[in-house]
Amino acid sequence: MTIRRVLIYAPIFVIVFLLQSYFWVPTYEEQSRGNPDRLNEYIAASIGDAQILNPVLSSDSASSQIESMVFEGLLDRDENLSFRGRLAQSWEIFEEAFFYVNDSSIIPGVGVADADQIIRFLKKEQHSKIYKDSSLNASLNNIKDISFIPSDEFVVTKHAESPVKDQKYKEIKIQVSAPARLKLTLARVDQDLFQNLAKILGDDFFNSFQAEKYINTFQPLEEEQFSQYAKEILPSTEQNPVLIFHLRPNVRFHDGHLLDAYDVKFTYDAIINPKNLSPRISDYEPIKTIEVNDPMTVRIVYKRLYSPAVGTWAIGILPEHLLNRQSLRQEAIDAGRDPNNFSMRESSFNRHPIGCGPYKFREWKPDQYISLDCFDDYWEGSPNYKQYIYRIIPDLLTQEMEFYAGTVDSYGVQPHQVKRLKNDPAYQSFSGLSFGYTYIGYNMRRAPFNDVRVRMALGMAIDVEKIIKYVLYGEGERITGPFAKQTDYYNHSIKPISYDPEGALMLLKEAGWERNAKGWLEKDGKRLQFTLITNSGNDLRKSILAITQEAWKQIGIDVRTDLLEWAVFIQERVDKADFDALILGWSMGIEPDLYQIWHSSQDNPYQLNFVGYNNPIADDLIVKIRKEYDHNKQVGFCHRLHDIIAKDQPYTFLYVPKWTAVLDKKIVIKETDLKGTIVYKKIKPTKTGSYTFHFNKWIKLPEAPDFDPEG
Amino acid sequence: MLSFIGRSVIQKIVTLFFVSIVSFLIIHMAPGKPSQVDPLNPKFTPEMVERFRKEFHLDKPLYTQYFYFYHDLFTGKTVSWKDNQPVLAKIFERFLNSLPLFIVGTILTWTLSFPVGIRSALHRGGLYDRSATFFSYLFISIPGFFFAYILIIFVVNSFHVPVIGMETFGLESLSWQRMFMDRIWHLLIPSILGATGGIAVLSRYVRSQMLEVEGQDYVRTAKAKGLTAEQVHYKHALRNALLPFVTMFGLILPGLIGGSVIIESIFSWPGMGRMAYEAILARDYPIILTVNFISAVLVLGGTFVSDLLYMVVDPRIRL
Repeated sequence: MTIRRVLIYAPIFVIVFLLQSYFWVPTYEEQSRGNPDRLNEYIAASIGDAQILNPVLSSDSASSQIESMVFEGLLDRDENLSFRGRLAQSWEIFEEAFFYVNDSSIIPGVGVADADQIIRFLKKEQHSKIYKDSSLNASLNNIKDISFIPSDEFVVTKHAESPVKDQKYKEIKIQVSAPARLKLTLARVDQDLFQNLAKILGDDFFNSFQAEKYINTFQPLEEEQFSQYAKEILPSTEQNPVLIFHLRPNVRFHDGHLLDAYDVKFTYDAIINPKNLSPRISDYEPIKTIEVNDPMTVRIVYKRLYSPAVGTWAIGILPEHLLNRQSLRQEAIDAGRDPNNFSMRESSFNRHPIGCGPYKFREWKPDQYISLDCFDDYWEGSPNYKQYIYRIIPDLLTQEMEFYAGTVDSYGVQPHQVKRLKNDPAYQSFSGLSFGYTYIGYNMRRAPFNDVRVRMALGMAIDVEKIIKYVLYGEGERITGPFAKQTDYYNHSIKPISYDPEGALMLLKEAGWERNAKGWLEKDGKRLQFTLITNSGNDLRKSILAITQEAWKQIGIDVRTDLLEWAVFIQERVDKADFDALILGWSMGIEPDLYQIWHSSQDNPYQLNFVGYNNPIADDLIVKIRKEYDHNKQVGFCHRLHDIIAKDQPYTFLYVPKWTAVLDKKIVIKETDLKGTIVYKKIKPTKTGSYTFHFNKWIKLPEAPDFDPEG
Repeated sequence: MLSFIGRSVIQKIVTLFFVSIVSFLIIHMAPGKPSQVDPLNPKFTPEMVERFRKEFHLDKPLYTQYFYFYHDLFTGKTVSWKDNQPVLAKIFERFLNSLPLFIVGTILTWTLSFPVGIRSALHRGGLYDRSATFFSYLFISIPGFFFAYILIIFVVNSFHVPVIGMETFGLESLSWQRMFMDRIWHLLIPSILGATGGIAVLSRYVRSQMLEVEGQDYVRTAKAKGLTAEQVHYKHALRNALLPFVTMFGLILPGLIGGSVIIESIFSWPGMGRMAYEAILARDYPIILTVNFISAVLVLGGTFVSDLLYMVVDPRIRL
């Protein structure tokens, strides 16, 4: 009977056909061990795919990983986290400061003075041997040149928001007759300049400058608005740091085009162009002007003192010739799109990037892999690996299987997996401090967290060492403050709070909390009770939540806990500062700029100081740190700030997690020394938060070499 | 017949319209915002977030956003917020990747379920029927990801061949036959995984349908007039038992677009399900809504096709 036969033979045929394909598939052996080309390829596994391969537009980690190989910045951080030149051979930083001549203020010993008199006075003070305080002396000696800018008349047009809804802006014309101005050129950036000059020019010299006197509007204006415009147009003092980059000559993009200063300027223009919606725009907002002095020199002038700005030039430089207006226009026309609505975001460049980094882009198969080839003309010499492949494997266990099979060289290994592989002779494992920390934050607007003794006691009741040991498998270290632990900014003299439940109870007693008959802490008949929350989906935080609840219950605190979905957690609780205490983590950069997280001006809803930390001394230091360009002074400020925050305990700082990695032992650093002999070295983790710092020198050998124990 | 088709098409368009409104509302009202408007990244200033909201029309009232979105969709201008790629092209590319998985999975399901189910029904209560029932429930209840890991570990450890991805990684210089067979091999395990659940469920249906039909008068009549057992079972009984499956065949259409999130993630398969899942995590509304809309179209199209098929195969039904 045919029907019956079809029913039986059809599935058999299908299954046999599918199964026989097994005999055609290359085994892992053929792919990795038996294949000599495999030694020249490095394959990294990643959970997620890149989004957009353009350093100016991307904001995800997978994209920036690829961009770091395809593009190159003007500078980056070396092994010890200090700046080193990449596309820039060298750079200088100095300052230009300006102030208006205030003819209504009396200078001690001189009287009311005009510009010439002030110049003469300052020059005299510079050379006078009369004793002055040392910081004033330093400021004066730092002045290299004083020049005069004559008074000027001009018209400024401002756009004010109009009260009528449909008309968006109201144009306001302002007639300005600016008084004479003096320009000071400083050898180094000096944030105390005007503070110090006020010591000799008179305390009020800068403060009492009345900008309103020099401006006139054609329309009547509210007084408040008027004086605000006056201050904007004629600021009494102005400090403009200047950054000059000297580019490395003969650096080429992957298409052979030579890099020049116009590419740097173009990269800046691309970021600042509102059409491109660059997520990095806020980093470059402080830039006043950027000029190309000559094809190898860029001069960048900043609106104000902002030291983190130097580090922003690690951004990958874009090739102007491929992305400028004409090229984009041409691309839009070729693709049949409207050239006026076609921005860099739409360009196919973002999927075929061209930069001047050590690897050039070859192919991107979405959700499968991105492959890069080594760039032979790389200015620092071609990297050892001929190919870099970024495989997207969304599942961690599958990644591990591929790693064992040898078809992946590195993957996002978890602490418990490292433990398993640590003693395997075939692999080398690494770990190091990452840039970030996990903490318990207290809402300091609410009782009882407005009392530092309570916050301190809560910290003392938690055994953080145990959390590190059992939750993190030892892959973490204690942290005492808000700076990255491996940087100089971190103050190592501050000791972490030790586990001391007895001491915690004593502190709480001081604060008025005593245990009642049932063992609960009470004050004025009210129980010490609050809710500790965190987001769901993070197992580490969930474990910490449980451990902390238990630890606090031990000393008689009635703690409730709640796990919330991330979006709800952030939008309903964190953004609106509607919580008692929460467990969260920060990941951060190297720059010690704490303004957004710790400055008291940032504690409104939707801002990052959601715990409501408010300490005027800390505020002052935070502002000073972002204005300071001298590394040693900055470190001094940071150490003091670290101390203050550690004493205030707005957070209980728990730990900084360690990153972990496992590699085949056959992967080593290969260097050629001056005599031309090849030297192999062991790979070591660096302070930069990874082990891939020397990646360009890595290579895989057929056999694992023997290193003496010192390596 | 024609009037049925006309009525049905109009009905489905109305339904589709409501589906589009409801799915739009659900996605916009669900907690979470697109990652570009993520407020907890210190690099994102409020002005930036505002600019993104403008660009994505998120600052407009919902009905205007609805209009913008479907206007863009029908003129083919929708782009993903994640990477500015046109959504339809992206979906089509992923669809082509998911398609082989879907086809092989469906073939396995439909070719295996019938023999398994029919035999169970014919030998009701026997050892074969009992073990088939046991395995059916086992495969229905075993979690897919767990089964997938077991299969992967088993295959990799005992045969030392790769099973991850659409093809063996790093193959470039092989002949086309080997490339083809390599792809077939990579299809095998994920589609077996996708099919096991289907076989388990479908073979149960086949069994109960067969049992029901076998109890009918006309089967008894066929037996009584002396037909061979094969003719009774495979000609008279099976044909009538098949009727409900014709409708089910229409309903597998939506499976074309759904794919399987878990299997595609575990096997690094760059398919539809994975893309939709990642889009949901990133709140990439254009992708989520487009996938949603297409699958709604397929569901409605599927029911329509099954209605028509039913009419064709069962002369008793007149619409």
